[in-house]
Amino acid sequence: MKIKMEKTTIVFNAIGYVIITILAVLCLLPFLLIVSGSFTPEMEIVAQGFKLIPKQFSLDAYSAAFSSPKQILDGYKVTVLITLIGTMLGLFLTSMAGFVLSRKEFKYKDKLAFFIYFTTLFSGGLIPWYIMMVKYLDLKDSYLALLLPGLLSAWNIILMKNFMKSIPESITESAKIDGAGEFTIYLKLILPLSTPGLATIGLFMALGYWNEWFLANLFITTESKFPLQFLLYKILASAAVLKTNVAGNLSPDFQPPAETLKMAAAVIATGPIIFLYPFVQRFFVKGLTIGAVKG
Amino acid sequence: MKRQIKTFSTLLIALMMMVTVLAACGSSNSDKEKSTGTDTSTDTKSTDTAADTGGEDKSADAGKPDTSKKVQLVWYLLGDAHKDTPKVVEEWNKMLEKDLNVTVKLNFTTWTDWTTKYNLLLASGEKIDMIFASSWADYYKFANQGAFMPLDDLLPTYAPETWKSVPEQDWKEATVNGKIFAVPATYPEYTPDGIVYREDWRKELNLPEIKDLNSIEAYLDGVKKAKNVTPINGKAYNEIFTMFKSYNNYQQIGGDSGVVVAKSYDTPRDIVAYPFTTEFEQWAHKMKEWKDKGFWKSDTLSDQKEAGDAIKTGQGAVYWRNAPGAGGYIMGLQTSNPDIEMGYFPFSRFNNLTMPTLSVNNAMAIPKSAPNPERSLMVLDKLRNDPKYYDLMNYGLEGTNYSVDTTDSKFIVSPPAGTPKDDKDHTAYGVASWGYRVESMERVKQAGGWPGFDALLEEFKSQSKPNIFAGVLMDYAPVKSQQAAVNSVIQQYGMPIMMGLVPDVDKAIANYRKQLEAAGVNDVMDYIKEQANKYFDSQGIN
Repeated sequence: MKIKMEKTTIVFNAIGYVIITILAVLCLLPFLLIVSGSFTPEMEIVAQGFKLIPKQFSLDAYSAAFSSPKQILDGYKVTVLITLIGTMLGLFLTSMAGFVLSRKEFKYKDKLAFFIYFTTLFSGGLIPWYIMMVKYLDLKDSYLALLLPGLLSAWNIILMKNFMKSIPESITESAKIDGAGEFTIYLKLILPLSTPGLATIGLFMALGYWNEWFLANLFITTESKFPLQFLLYKILASAAVLKTNVAGNLSPDFQPPAETLKMAAAVIATGPIIFLYPFVQRFFVKGLTIGAVKG
Repeated sequence: MKRQIKTFSTLLIALMMMVTVLAACGSSNSDKEKSTGTDTSTDTKSTDTAADTGGEDKSADAGKPDTSKKVQLVWYLLGDAHKDTPKVVEEWNKMLEKDLNVTVKLNFTTWTDWTTKYNLLLASGEKIDMIFASSWADYYKFANQGAFMPLDDLLPTYAPETWKSVPEQDWKEATVNGKIFAVPATYPEYTPDGIVYREDWRKELNLPEIKDLNSIEAYLDGVKKAKNVTPINGKAYNEIFTMFKSYNNYQQIGGDSGVVVAKSYDTPRDIVAYPFTTEFEQWAHKMKEWKDKGFWKSDTLSDQKEAGDAIKTGQGAVYWRNAPGAGGYIMGLQTSNPDIEMGYFPFSRFNNLTMPTLSVNNAMAIPKSAPNPERSLMVLDKLRNDPKYYDLMNYGLEGTNYSVDTTDSKFIVSPPAGTPKDDKDHTAYGVASWGYRVESMERVKQAGGWPGFDALLEEFKSQSKPNIFAGVLMDYAPVKSQQAAVNSVIQQYGMPIMMGLVPDVDKAIANYRKQLEAAGVNDVMDYIKEQANKYFDSQGIN
């Protein structure tokens, strides 16, 4: 059956499509520039700047980036593993904390909650934190240094707790009458009902782990343990140093990485995620809207 | 009730914020206390180590220092590792284990956020046995705060060769509060600012030889008109600012970014802020002229392009480099653009004055938390004086990274003989080895082997005077906010004037001066004067 469209609807749709197309192109252009830039010969960029369609086609940047492919593969391995393990473990811990804090039966929940919120207001600062990580926990150059700090955040716990509070109490009560223990209630009832909340927080965490470079910068000293983002950042930082006063003191052989290499590195780092995103995205969208419809 | 809770909670939040603010103040205070505290503790420690070495001395008399216990050292270098570094370090450790019964774990800070990281490494008291130190990485500040271990008592015992071979003046420059805190590299360098320019165009257009400001102007003008290119095509601030300083013989004190200068080398105590001088006015007018003639583009301050890249494509003619950097750049051009001939004009010729870089421009220091300072010094002594060690840790593996020059066996060539010329995967082995370089051990020519460099070096040496300004100790702690405000005023008002980018120069200068005064430039200057005078008094400079 075909519904006849009104003229205004057609006009509205037409305008809408045009605007959205323009917006989409605007979003895509920078990516295209990165990709085409990575395939342009270095000298052409220096002479004429970045162009969407390069005059000449060159794979130099990629052959330079992959001259030690092991490094990039190692970086991928570290980042993917840390993201997967960190997100899984983090979700488990955060939801457990949120569950406990959301239960009325828990006598000290206000005090415990205050204890957790307190850390959002006061923190020891960078140096004490660093000393604790390195001297007392002995996490220098350990994968745990990348994993642990992101596992639990007070903000996520608050979010989770509030979400679980919105689940009607009668559900837990009925389960209790049927003889379920607290952990069964958490695992069998609360967790499945909190999927929207888990999806949101899981997304935050996964992004956080994927983009993390600062921890690696501070704690990791072995090159094969560098996560991907840090490898990239390292390339850019070496270029940035050349622009400061320090450069005058460096040996003249110290060559900046080429523009094209930077672009190629960006493509290598973001490419797989961009391809992965359309497949994973629908889960996120589904998860995020479930709660919204119910209100 | 609800409202009560609300007001109560707002009160609580307000209170907490106040506590945070207070806590922040408190922590900075306690920081100070702590640093003075550590000062005294290092003092006691130094006497401790003195006592220790007193004990060791006897055994040293009997023979070599005791190396029976195997230890693992942790060293930190600034910068990035090379892709062959793991192999090199493995080889190094084999040698070290045999000779000194130690192994070293060599770590690199990388350049990512390196200042934060470097601060953390030293502030946290991590167990590090040796770390790269430098005047540009706040060596004086850290030494003053007691982050490094005093070495006076250890050096003669554990690094005897180094102790003898490093010149007196170099030790003096590494001395803070009467104690030596670092082993400076023995590698005298002259790094005067200057410009490289297209000599072939100068000859072709029959322009006068570059020897002063007028001939530079004539050259820029000639190139602009005849070749129709923007002579300084890219960021031009460095070119102009360093030229301004050298032309007027201003000696900058307290960091490259500030406005405070001594008016000349011979009058170090005549300290002024340069925007308030008549020389600056004249210069600003001249630069306005230059800008209007199109010697650089009007977006030069936001441009991210290096002027040197434009030369490679024939779209530029002039590029700021220090002398060794110029050599490296010119030699690089010879391979990539052999048809271009470059010349170099060091700004030191304006006043016939060069100052060597400080010895602690590159040095190795031992953090006070080091568990095995003696062993570290022994390794360093070996590294600096044994050619086998020196070559390995500076140039990498023979055969893989370099081979000995067939014409002169003192020098090496990289890539090694037998590597195809177009092998792009080969990058010369280079890590942050500047901290332990020794001139007599070097097997690579300075400035990338640029033939013109030797003559320049002679010229610099003949007009060299000791660097009396770099040792002025400053951490700006009392005038931190004024300094930050002044720096942002320089960026906002000063740099456009320097580049001639303002419509009315006199008005802009008047405004610039007003803004600087409002930002507290006088406080900063008083502070610098006080520190400088203190330093000059202690060194006997007038």
